[in-house]
Amino acid sequence: MRTNLKIAWRNLWRNKRRTLITVASIFFGVLLSAYMTSMQEGSYEKMVDMVVKYYSGAMQVHHENYWESKSINDTFEESQDLNQLILANEEVDFVIPRLESFALASSEELTKGVMVVGTVPEPENRLTSLKNNVRQGSYLSDNDQGLLIGEGLADYLRLGINDTLVMISQGYHGISAAGKYPIRGIIKHASPELNKMIVYMELSNCQEFFSADNRLTSLVVNIKDNDLLQKSLRKLRDELNSPYTIMSWQEMSPEMVQQIESDRAGGIIMKAVLYIVIGFGILGTIMMMIAERRREFGVMIAIGMQRYKLATILFYETLFIGMIGALSGLLVSIPLLSFQSQNPIPLTGQAALVMEDYGFEPYMFFSTEPSVFWHQAVTVFLITLVIALYPIFSANRMKLINALHA
Amino acid sequence: MITSVAWRNIWRNPLRSGIIITAITIGMFAGVFSATFMKGWMNQRLEAGIETETSHIQIHNPEYRKNYDIRQFIPKGFELAEQIATNPAINGVSPRVTIQSMIASAETGTGVKIMGIIPEKEKQVTSLSEYVTEGDYFESISRNPIVIGKKLSEKLKIRSKSKVVITLQDTDGNLTGGAFRVCGIFDTANSMYEETNVFVRYQDLARLGMLPEGVAHEIIVHLHDQDDLLPTTLALREQQSDLEVLNWKELTPELGYLNEIGNLYTYIFVIIILLSLGFGIVNTMLMVVMERVKEIGMLMAIGMGKLRVFLMLMFETILLTLTGGTIGIMLGLGASLALQQNGINLSNWAQGLEDFGYSAIVYPVVEVEMVVVIFILVILTGILASLYPARKALKYNPADAIRTE
Amino acid sequence: MTIIEITELFKTYNDSEIQVHAVNGVDLNIEEGEFTAIVGPSGSGKTTLLNMLGGLDQPTSGSIRIDDTDLGKLKSSQLIDFRMKNIGFVFQSYNLIPVLTAKENVEFVMHLQGRPKKEREARTMQLLEAVGLKGRENSRPSKLSGGQQQRVAVARALASKPKFVLADEPTANLDSKSTENLLNIMEELNKQEKITFIFSTHDQRVVNKAHRVITLEDGKIISDNRKK
Repeated sequence: MRTNLKIAWRNLWRNKRRTLITVASIFFGVLLSAYMTSMQEGSYEKMVDMVVKYYSGAMQVHHENYWESKSINDTFEESQDLNQLILANEEVDFVIPRLESFALASSEELTKGVMVVGTVPEPENRLTSLKNNVRQGSYLSDNDQGLLIGEGLADYLRLGINDTLVMISQGYHGISAAGKYPIRGIIKHASPELNKMIVYMELSNCQEFFSADNRLTSLVVNIKDNDLLQKSLRKLRDELNSPYTIMSWQEMSPEMVQQIESDRAGGIIMKAVLYIVIGFGILGTIMMMIAERRREFGVMIAIGMQRYKLATILFYETLFIGMIGALSGLLVSIPLLSFQSQNPIPLTGQAALVMEDYGFEPYMFFSTEPSVFWHQAVTVFLITLVIALYPIFSANRMKLINALHA
Repeated sequence: MITSVAWRNIWRNPLRSGIIITAITIGMFAGVFSATFMKGWMNQRLEAGIETETSHIQIHNPEYRKNYDIRQFIPKGFELAEQIATNPAINGVSPRVTIQSMIASAETGTGVKIMGIIPEKEKQVTSLSEYVTEGDYFESISRNPIVIGKKLSEKLKIRSKSKVVITLQDTDGNLTGGAFRVCGIFDTANSMYEETNVFVRYQDLARLGMLPEGVAHEIIVHLHDQDDLLPTTLALREQQSDLEVLNWKELTPELGYLNEIGNLYTYIFVIIILLSLGFGIVNTMLMVVMERVKEIGMLMAIGMGKLRVFLMLMFETILLTLTGGTIGIMLGLGASLALQQNGINLSNWAQGLEDFGYSAIVYPVVEVEMVVVIFILVILTGILASLYPARKALKYNPADAIRTE
Repeated sequence: MTIIEITELFKTYNDSEIQVHAVNGVDLNIEEGEFTAIVGPSGSGKTTLLNMLGGLDQPTSGSIRIDDTDLGKLKSSQLIDFRMKNIGFVFQSYNLIPVLTAKENVEFVMHLQGRPKKEREARTMQLLEAVGLKGRENSRPSKLSGGQQQRVAVARALASKPKFVLADEPTANLDSKSTENLLNIMEELNKQEKITFIFSTHDQRVVNKAHRVITLEDGKIISDNRKK
């Protein structure tokens, strides 16, 4: 085998220029694909982050009817047993009990519909780093009677720290909910949309407002490692019975999952076209390499080299070209993208506005997940394997006499 | 004659030429098809957005859009609407009172934009009435009818004839509300729009909000012809210097932006494909040149100047590239036109797309300008790819060339 | 001792309505240690005959037996194997594998045969010296002259100790000095190693050197002279 490898390697360099151009085309393809994939995966990661970190958490436990109705009537009682059950799982990091609903909030002159999130300040901060987002005033303390409101909302209602916010809504079992609360702090929420309508309350305070004593709309479950999500979800699903149900962020935001999948699919198609085109180029080169050496192949078989050995040498040659191309592409793209991911590209103008409209920071983010890179290597490997069929076929089918007199 | 010679030269090695031509064909097919696909998709979003949601031009009190304050209305809104309607370029004007507030059913409540409209006038500016799938558009129910979106009806768990309560703050600052009955549910394939926009009759909302007679928060203008957009916007701006006049491009910049960006992405994609093909073309032509060393030497010996040899090879390369390019483009156009009738069904991913306003069936759109640009790019690729091999050919010394064994 | 027995050999081509009898009934025996030239004008069938002798082509009818093996009964891969073990080839040109050095080229068939490294190296150096190329063993073919390349080819052909060597116009591209050189070496090796050499040639110098001359015309043997 060593000899075959040696011959194959040397054959590559008989026509340096041609080999290098072919290798360059693979290099180009790998670099481009890696770059594009990195950009896509980078933005997906951010999108998922947004949803998981700043809003829903990895999983949530609800009352089984809650997700359909989103009604305050489909709440469940907070129970230590439930919490223990969930925390007993080793993948689970911590939980956050929440009570969320809609209300009308007013200052002296203006009213707006707002989303009220009742939560426990410390664990909430662990997940969403809410404390960091406090721009004025301070974060909620335990048993705080005050509120945190979004900047957009504060601007609209023209309220500042220590001003009073009046809220009314429909509480549990139809009881009217009404209350006045001081503004403890003003936050800048990551999502510009939520920034204009979010109100955070301390949980028991919120439960009082909605007359939903000890009740929760959701129990946010956070896990230590996102890769363990499916496993954890399965276990918890088995353990939880009616009326509880548990959902993953993917189930809570299927549109996001679909958006990501469809974008990924689009990307795959583009990369497929790119690699197919490059593949043809490689095929062309291999064909030229073989055509030129017909005579030589004839001699080799005449003097006693089995066809399959010749095919093996040609196979190695094809593989080498693919490998050199892929390796060189990866050698450049890995450091390049590592750098990019540390230095995301800032977007300006219209592009920035669109991003912010949809709730994202106006940057082009890059991912350095290993899959970004080894997908390219595998693709090139597979393509060269398919292309290698041609020389193998050719070696086996070659007519000896014709070759000798080529 | 030159063409015929170049063409025959290409086919001296049919397998080799065939492969590179196939590669170019596949690449250009993909390029053209993705271009028409993107364009069709974007166009639909645009159409849908304009025709069912924003219409062409909107007029507001300059303070209104800062806070959507109910008190920032256009004082003589109705009169103004009548006046504007006389402009020949305009085919419909609809004055609205619009309030951002809360809607609730027995199940739950949420925030919405409530528009009080005159149904006949509204029909002239948007086609929303055509998308009412359940019930009707302000025909059946006489007392406080309301038309809501499908996504909202699912959220509130209500159907046609169900009751909802609208709560709002009137012009005196008092919190007030009224019961409305759902008379129609619309389904536009833009779930986000469906969830956050509801329609009631002008008089019902004006009464509830304690608004003075004849005022409007928004005046919606629809034109006969999209091309009149800019001139009409400017004209209106001049006439109504104390009011804010905006067209859809300014109201929803992301729509216009996405449209332009779509084109750019397509061209970038095509260029990248052509670059990759370039490697293959250069290699192919290098082989061609090397094979014909003797022939080229002979041509130079009998008097064909270097420039002519260069041009000959460049022409061959362009012809090779164009063959694949033309077939690919034709196939791409063919596929696009064939799918224009029934469109391409993306319903597997429909949910996520509809949420952002994209429809699940895409009708590819063929734009002449795009095809022309791609053609030019193909020719350019041929020219650029020919440079290196043709230069190599020129370096041959005729005497050496003839002697090569 | 007879090593090659050719009986009633025919090779016919049916080339669109015209039947060509390239080899038209040949009976021939070749003994061990012969130094034989097969001559004849173009179209006489000598190339076809040699191709069949080397197992590179199959006869239409008749048989070729090499040491009791009937070539016609061997399958394609068995033929390749047979050639590797029993026949050495020297072609007119393009004998060598361009990316291998002279030494590696000579070793090649022995390598295919799986012989141990020491044995291969010893035999290679011995043969390279015998053909007068000691010191050039690490050169690639492109760095050797035409005559030197042919000598490497001869060394390779002999390296695996074949039953006989088939040389198809080995001197056609060489000048007279190289030709003489090559022929002397081949005659020497024929005597030393006792390996049969069968030439197909136009070249009078080869004919002069040969110990037996077989003349072909129109696919038939018209004369068969032993000189020594």
